[in-house]
Amino acid sequence: MKKSAGFFMTILSAIAAVVGVVAYIMNTRTNYFINLGVNTVVVVCAVAAIVIQVVYLIASGKGHNLFVDLLAVLPPVLLIVAAITLVSTRINGIAAIMTFENNAQNMADLTSAIVGIAGCVVAALIGVIASFFDAAKAKEAK
Amino acid sequence: MSKSTKSGRGAQPVWRGLTTVCAVILAAALSAQPLVNTFRTDIDKFLGTQSTQIVTDDAGDAENLYTYTSDYSSTKELVTAIADLGERVSEEGTVLLKNNGALPLTADETKKVSLLGFSSYYPVRGGIMGSSLTENVGTDADTVDLVQALTARGFGLNPDLQPLYQSLEAVFTTEVQSWGGTITYKTITAPSVGGVFSSKEPSQAQMDGANANWKSGLSDYNVMVVTLARAGSENGTYMPGTAGVDPSQNLNQRDPLGLSDDERDLIQAAVDAKGSNGKVIVLINSSSAMELQEVQDNEGVDAILQIGLPGGYGFYGVADILSGAANPSGHLSDTYAVTIADSPAAQNFGNFEWTNPDPSITVNSEIVQAEGIYIGYKYYETRYADVVLGQGNAGNWNYADEVTYPFGYGLSYTTFEQKLNSVQVDLTAKTVTANVTVKNTGSVAGKDAIQLYVSLPYIQGGVEKAAIQLLDFAKTDELQPGESKDYTLVADAQNMTSWDSDANNAVGTKGNFILDPGTYYFTVGADAHEAVNNVLAAQGATVDGGSADNTQTWELAQRDETTFARSKAGVAVENQLADMDVNYWLPGTASYLSRSDWEGTWPKTYSGLTATADMLAIMDNDIYELGSGTGDPVTFGAANGLTLADLKGVTDLEDPRWSQLMDQITLEECMIRTGFGGTSTKAIESIMSPEAIQNDGPNGIYSYPLGQYANKTDDKDPCKVDANDPNLGFTFGTMPNATVIGQTFSKELARAFGETAGNYSLWANLTIYWGCGVNLHRVPYNSRNHEYYAEDSVLSAGLGNEFVQGGLKYGCLIAPKHLAFNDTEINRSGVATFMTEQQARENELRCFQSIVENGALALMTAYNRVGITQDNAHTGLMMNILRKEWGFKGLISEDFIMDANYTVLKEAVMNGVTMSCNTGDNSIAAVSEKYSYWTVENVGKDPAMQAALKQAMTWQNYALANSNALDGLSSSSHLVSVRTWYDNAITGLQIGSGVLTVLCAVAYVMSGKRKEN
Repeated sequence: MKKSAGFFMTILSAIAAVVGVVAYIMNTRTNYFINLGVNTVVVVCAVAAIVIQVVYLIASGKGHNLFVDLLAVLPPVLLIVAAITLVSTRINGIAAIMTFENNAQNMADLTSAIVGIAGCVVAALIGVIASFFDAAKAKEAK
Repeated sequence: MSKSTKSGRGAQPVWRGLTTVCAVILAAALSAQPLVNTFRTDIDKFLGTQSTQIVTDDAGDAENLYTYTSDYSSTKELVTAIADLGERVSEEGTVLLKNNGALPLTADETKKVSLLGFSSYYPVRGGIMGSSLTENVGTDADTVDLVQALTARGFGLNPDLQPLYQSLEAVFTTEVQSWGGTITYKTITAPSVGGVFSSKEPSQAQMDGANANWKSGLSDYNVMVVTLARAGSENGTYMPGTAGVDPSQNLNQRDPLGLSDDERDLIQAAVDAKGSNGKVIVLINSSSAMELQEVQDNEGVDAILQIGLPGGYGFYGVADILSGAANPSGHLSDTYAVTIADSPAAQNFGNFEWTNPDPSITVNSEIVQAEGIYIGYKYYETRYADVVLGQGNAGNWNYADEVTYPFGYGLSYTTFEQKLNSVQVDLTAKTVTANVTVKNTGSVAGKDAIQLYVSLPYIQGGVEKAAIQLLDFAKTDELQPGESKDYTLVADAQNMTSWDSDANNAVGTKGNFILDPGTYYFTVGADAHEAVNNVLAAQGATVDGGSADNTQTWELAQRDETTFARSKAGVAVENQLADMDVNYWLPGTASYLSRSDWEGTWPKTYSGLTATADMLAIMDNDIYELGSGTGDPVTFGAANGLTLADLKGVTDLEDPRWSQLMDQITLEECMIRTGFGGTSTKAIESIMSPEAIQNDGPNGIYSYPLGQYANKTDDKDPCKVDANDPNLGFTFGTMPNATVIGQTFSKELARAFGETAGNYSLWANLTIYWGCGVNLHRVPYNSRNHEYYAEDSVLSAGLGNEFVQGGLKYGCLIAPKHLAFNDTEINRSGVATFMTEQQARENELRCFQSIVENGALALMTAYNRVGITQDNAHTGLMMNILRKEWGFKGLISEDFIMDANYTVLKEAVMNGVTMSCNTGDNSIAAVSEKYSYWTVENVGKDPAMQAALKQAMTWQNYALANSNALDGLSSSSHLVSVRTWYDNAITGLQIGSGVLTVLCAVAYVMSGKRKEN
């Protein structure tokens, strides 16, 4: 297939999503956030988004199809849900670390949370832009 | 088959993209809804909106609706009074440490002032974090700095210097990297935990480099005012000695609270430039005691003023002291040691990690307060006394090498004589009544502090006793030259008792407040050192400066173990804090300092300790087993038809209406409100308890501006404000810091602060104020000392009590904090704090005890562990001492603990804590999600927990019923939900984006169909 802008942007989005979910998993193991555990909504949404993006890229190489095309819509939706859910689990900690519990160790622990949130948000935004483009250039009909 | 190209797909990708945009917005709006619900309280506070409102239909007459009345008829009067109070506190709390006659300045001299040191232009006026100054601009009481205050008072300032320092801003600017950007400070800052202090004073080379002629104007402006500053900050710390100093600077600084070479050079430059007619005056802009011996010894320095952190208006007071418009009457609330790191308490100040830390349960470090009762002057003056008396293996120890300024020290522009005429000890009334004559023997009017001290009989090897301790204090009126006046101080005799953990008590166990037999010496002194010298002279020792004539004695023939065996609440006292001794858990680990053998018991540094399995079983913070509690069934949800307003002002908790009212509350409400108590108490619908807003302090009620919750609509409210009131943006974080208040030694000013806060509370509708910091200055290194008064418990309690009572007069719940032992910011969440029960009872707990016993209705707990037990889970402290011995009946909040495990919610509730500091949605699902064990099913199986929950809510609402939170409420008041603009916005977004998503998706499909056709 001939790759289009949508293809590369979808890959970028998937990479950002992977960064986000990995950072989140790392964050759940930091001293400050370990007691909050792993939020399944965040992980399921982010992983599902990545899987759908992969499926979309593979399927779109086989020609345009209404429902395959619509797969491009889902990842940004899932990623924004993951991002907001992640924010909701971390906002108390962010507030505390930025104020009453500000020290080097806690700031370091906070970094992975920020990266996780940023990764999901950036992945969602790229995914939104990618959805305006096809992943593959259409073949000329014979 | 049709031929299709990229462009041939036409608008289809665009419709897909738009579908994605709309779907993402829809998903965001839907996902945000629970987030908004969870943080609705905080959002409302940030935006100034209200999601619930209590509506009073049948208001009746205004007199019954509003219990409390402000002294002021307008916000202008209110903020003007605040500014006036700030100025007065600074006038009376600034301490004149040295004066060779240079002060006060003449009128001519005030016209030729050179302000030196970057802190003259960027002074520390409040905490860097916590009790930070709130700048007010465009109000009827705008805040000022030193330059503005001096200018307003007509001083003439060297015009070359401000531009010089402005050009050097890069030298002293501190940048703190943080998420969201860089925070820039032009004032000096305190080191963060784990950091070191960096001197920021520009060097002489830097100043010369910025302006080679900067000294040329000093001959014309030859009154040099040099400001040296150290910042106070929550969540920061200084570390003792050179370990606390930036090693890269090489500025010959031996302690962060000592001077750097750049500061020395600046002082010397001022001394060199002043000429024969000039003066050098050093301002100490610090809330921590500093090492100032070299400044004191510098003959070129003519005067030193300790100004603390003056807040928004305090520099007016400093200006007036410089000019002589005010006469300084402040006295130090801390000892100023020559070498701070040499104190016994400093031997165990730092980060002493357990060998087996566990962050998942907040097990991090410990601190063994091996100095025992001997903190501050209780150490220095007692060791001095034993050196003089030749006892206690006091060693080769010279007081003059140890102390620069003693506790209580402070000069004046006049002189005073104080005479202790009589002392009567009445053990029936439990009072010590002293009559003191104070005479102004100088040439100008002024006030003096009366410091009444006691020296208890010490029995070698017996209960530890300080050679001198403050028993009570008072501030005189302004006495004219030659004027003499008698004052009567009635001290609480409880303050001269000693805690003996081995003494018998009223319940047949061990632990009691005792009075040992022997001679009790009472004296008044200009400071603690003069007081101990008076006592030593009376005991026949040869000392400089002591006056035996100024002592009174009282004899006790036999040991008294009965008079104070029961608290004021009638509860028998006994050991409650045995587990605070590290030896309880790790036998033989520590020894505590004893005056029977100073050298032999000098504190070791206790580090490298290992928590045992038994200890970790408590330190995991899972102490109470939910479901294990038994008891009678507890009534919830009854329909008794009462509201909290029916019990407005009812102070008797035995009134049956209290139990009837609280029977109406539901179990779910109790669980939610204890679990989510942060930022406000929130409304409880079943009993119509209103939301009461919480505010931080202590430098004023500064969490919200005056106008955020002020009543702008209800004409019946006597404190209704106009929507265009210029003071609605005024925020009351403007008072001088607590140390300055401590230095006033003025109960009147402390009460005036409480009353002013109470008035502000009425106008701003801000009821709860975490504003009375009474933790002790165990060492000057705790950078949070700026929020606490003093190193002495009697001074702290005396001021705190007046402050709290002043607020209560206007229904403002001023809370003492942090109960207890929050003496370090290093690992403040989790640090295990060890000490003897005697130290705990006589030092820090004594700060809280009388405030609580006199009727405080709110209190905040501490972050740290008490021994190894999370503070809020410590039954001995929280339930047995606070609730039972002291009879506390009010609300209690945890500090800002966000971790669900360390919040110890179930343990805290069982120990009388009424709310955590967390926030969340007003639902049982939300609180159960935060604390996994906190479900209706689990709590429903535990009658003891249910009873504790109901009791906690009773105490909380009892406090509110006796506060101004109920002003404007009547029996008919009811709660209504209010849709805020952001609720409408989210709903609109959900609907709009949902519709557009469908439309775009349809358009996408249709465009594809059209193309196929």
